[in-house]
Amino acid sequence: MEPFQYVHARSVGEAVGLLARHPGAEVIAGATDLTTLMRDGIRRPSHLIDVNGLALDEISALPDGGLRIGALCRNATDDQRIVRGFPALVEALRSGASPQIRNRATFGGNLLQRVRCPYYRQPEFACNRRDPGSGCAALDGDSSRHAILGTSGSCIAVHPSDCAVALQALDAEVVVRGPRGERRIPIDAFHRLPGRTPEREVMLRDDEIILAVELPGRASSAHSHYVKFRERASYAFALASAAVAVEVRGGTVRSARIALGGVAPKPWRARAAEHALLGRPFGKDAIDAAARAATKGAAPRPDNTYKVSLAQAVVQRALTELGGAR
Amino acid sequence: MTSRTEVPESGIGAPVNRVEARDKVTGSARYTADVRLRDMAHATVVTSTISAGRVRRIDTTRALAAPGVLTVITHRDRMPWRSTPADTGYLENRFPLADDKITYYGQHLAIVVAKNLEQSLHAASLVDIDYEVDASVPTLDEAMPDAYTANGRLIRPPWPQHLVLPPGADPQAALAGADVRTDSTYRVPHFSHVPLEPGAVVAEWSGGTLTLHDCSQDVHGHREVVAAVFGLPPERVRVLSPLVGGAFGNKTDVWGHSLLAAHAARVVRRPVKLVLSRKQVFTSTGHQPPIVQRIRLGAGREGRLAVILHDTVNATEMRGDRPEPAIISTASSYAAPVLAVDAKIAKVNIGPSISLRSPGDAPGSFALESAMDELSYRLGMDPLELRRRNHLNTDPLTGKPWSAKHLLQACELGAERFGWARRTAEPRSMREGGELVGYGMATAVRGEIPDRARAEVEIRADGTAQVRTATQEIGTGALTLVAQITAAGTGVPLGRVSVRAGDTNLPRTAGNAGSRTTGYTGSAVHLAAEKARRAAVRMAVTDPDSPLYGLADGEVEAADGRLFHRDDTKRGETYRALLARHDGKPVVAEASYTPRTSHAVATFGAHFTEVRIDPDLPRVRVTRHVAVFDVGRITNHKAARNQAQGGIVFGMGWALMEKLTPDPVSGRYVDAALTDYHIPVNADVPDIEVLFIDEPDTIAHPHGSKGMGEVVSVGVAASIANAVHHATGRRITDLPITPDKLVG
Repeated sequence: MEPFQYVHARSVGEAVGLLARHPGAEVIAGATDLTTLMRDGIRRPSHLIDVNGLALDEISALPDGGLRIGALCRNATDDQRIVRGFPALVEALRSGASPQIRNRATFGGNLLQRVRCPYYRQPEFACNRRDPGSGCAALDGDSSRHAILGTSGSCIAVHPSDCAVALQALDAEVVVRGPRGERRIPIDAFHRLPGRTPEREVMLRDDEIILAVELPGRASSAHSHYVKFRERASYAFALASAAVAVEVRGGTVRSARIALGGVAPKPWRARAAEHALLGRPFGKDAIDAAARAATKGAAPRPDNTYKVSLAQAVVQRALTELGGAR
Repeated sequence: MTSRTEVPESGIGAPVNRVEARDKVTGSARYTADVRLRDMAHATVVTSTISAGRVRRIDTTRALAAPGVLTVITHRDRMPWRSTPADTGYLENRFPLADDKITYYGQHLAIVVAKNLEQSLHAASLVDIDYEVDASVPTLDEAMPDAYTANGRLIRPPWPQHLVLPPGADPQAALAGADVRTDSTYRVPHFSHVPLEPGAVVAEWSGGTLTLHDCSQDVHGHREVVAAVFGLPPERVRVLSPLVGGAFGNKTDVWGHSLLAAHAARVVRRPVKLVLSRKQVFTSTGHQPPIVQRIRLGAGREGRLAVILHDTVNATEMRGDRPEPAIISTASSYAAPVLAVDAKIAKVNIGPSISLRSPGDAPGSFALESAMDELSYRLGMDPLELRRRNHLNTDPLTGKPWSAKHLLQACELGAERFGWARRTAEPRSMREGGELVGYGMATAVRGEIPDRARAEVEIRADGTAQVRTATQEIGTGALTLVAQITAAGTGVPLGRVSVRAGDTNLPRTAGNAGSRTTGYTGSAVHLAAEKARRAAVRMAVTDPDSPLYGLADGEVEAADGRLFHRDDTKRGETYRALLARHDGKPVVAEASYTPRTSHAVATFGAHFTEVRIDPDLPRVRVTRHVAVFDVGRITNHKAARNQAQGGIVFGMGWALMEKLTPDPVSGRYVDAALTDYHIPVNADVPDIEVLFIDEPDTIAHPHGSKGMGEVVSVGVAASIANAVHHATGRRITDLPITPDKLVG
């Protein structure tokens, strides 16, 4: 681990100012991911800007029936407004990590967690995401847990978050602040696909911090569900997961948002699956079609073709359970 | 908690809490990494990031200039090692930092010592290494074509690597002539021990004497090696290991980091603490190598085996030959008139392997017990019936009868408790709630590896007793076991028995490895306690002031801290009273135990597993497991059940999720972290019912108890794999049985 300066910011403005002044600075909140990255020599921040205590942990109602969740709200939240109005989000949060980690981890940090690709996590391997231009050891290595959608020749890692997958299905927006003020980034635009620049993981600028995540009031959000499939019963990242939010009126699907986790370098919006549901009765035929469509465009590798059927199966399961719960 | 027999409320068998339980649950228990000494410095090892090549240049300038750094030691420094690895009994076939060559990822290249831990970690990151990289052999698959039979003095197996029984038989002809045949190849990956406690050591020199606090399953064994490596007489080395936070085999031998810490402590003239990182646990303290096993079975239509052929190849390190004894129990498992086993090795760029809980038998039983299940389907016979028909009463390997064997009884009992009769044989024939249900079973055998042990028991004038033996508490209940045996032997209440252990200043015992604690250390304690009691009885019956004066020794019994007449329990006196009249001096007795060898000694078990598998999201859920063990008399039903359940969970991890994956290009492990190296979490662990036959085996050991740490995890993986086959119709022959193997 490299020595670093630790600064406890007294205000959001001060935190943003520090980030702007020190290009090597990073924000620290729950510290569940950054400390392991620092110990392993993956991240070497010059400064750690501690934002804990900046009153960013509030959950408040929005006029449209939505919710604003402060960036420092812990992942262990059991706020009843989320439980009732946005069930997929609570299901996703509770399927992630362990209770101890959820007690520490924040919403903002969850969105900014780094990939779990073992080639990224071990500096002795080549990794374009960690060291741009160094290559991707996973391409010739073990890619059994890697992405089948949205990959590029420079990176095939999967995004590890459960929470962000649910946020995709709930059409969330990320509210950020930098030296030039606040702006809002739709969740689908917040995480980037690797393309040729996998090191640029999110749309957040280096001098911006996340203030909150906003969940708009949508009819589909209360009718949402998250299904995660993993190698053991708990405390493991998803091999495949699905968040679904479906608005059904008169037995017909009026709107649907479907997102996949564990199969792409970002929380993956499965638009073809959504289209397969729209305007159809919310029943087995439409669900089967949506599941099949969920992996449209998938380009699996020889050792991860199994993820195609897993991704379809989690979509099918999530929609079926959602239908059954109606 | 269930047992076939009654569980005693006190004495041998009583389910008493562990003597160190309170310390452990309150956090006051002290492990090696908790040792703090005055002026103690902290060390970090720097490890290689390549798996083959050499160190072209190692630059320590920046590290040495970093704050707090006391020294940085590399292969360029003169190392103090004496003799050779082979002559000192050092497991690795090269002393640490002996030269510039690198043969595996994670090999130690430097040790950095600083005033505090953070300084040493930081300085370690500043050691700049320029490598000359050679092509590596990253996987067993690449090495397989060059597999060979281990030879020369590097190997230390007490078992034959190639065997045909009866000698001169023609196994191929026997196979060709069999009515029914199976031929399958089974694979197990690199497995890691993953104890909670990483390797840790605190080394301190005083005068010319080295004190080593080291996590060890065998302090005396460690001392011998450390003394030899440093060229010291053994009495100048003291090794202490009072509590070990799990080991499973990876603390049986001295590792390079312990030698490096001891050397560094002498260089900096201060005590040095070194705790391996979690990642280093995967590369610095051994593993079980990957093994490919081919099993061919031939049988008659009536289900009697005609022949077993078992051929194995395991990966071994570049610097030494270490065959993994997966064939060790094949001959002792079933009544096949012809048997042929063969073990080969193949060189891979990996670190040294070491025994991992049930070396040989865990991987071997996965293959053999899976093959038996396959055969049962070929024969159209219940797998349990197939085992019955091939039962053995004499060990073909030694020609001796077993001291005790109740395997058939264990099978019947387990089958009944499990409800095996409800099983419909056809794969995929049992379903519930949309899930496939599978029942599987397997049997287990684990031969004992003889050892010797010594112990000392002292009965004191204050009415207490103390047992002293070097045994280590590695989490299995060893301290409680020796206390219980001491209490039973002396008649001093358990609450008044203290234990000293984990120290080379105490009598040497069997290492806490190879299931030897209960049988060997336990016997030595049993003999010492009996001897101490008899000495006290002798004192009493020859003491005119004793109420027991004049009685024959055999007429006196002991209980509740008191000696009394067998037929008139009121007549007697306490140890306290007796010893007070004899100057308050304690009665001390030492005993050593060497087992007899007139019989084959082994432990046995039967496993029954229920799995449930969602066909669309196929993760294997073990929903029920019943196991029955035949391990002699149970000394502590609580500790025994706990150890059995732990062993079964251990086997579940093997069967379903554990795997250390070498990168196919470089040979580096890609999953050397608990994030990726999955072991079962509580939510994976089902209802595990454990039963014991609980019949004393006094031919094996005088107190009738045998070690059970290994047999409990033997056969678990096969039992689960067989259940998976029954549920899905798929025979998974390569562990672990992860979802990707069941999809589609």
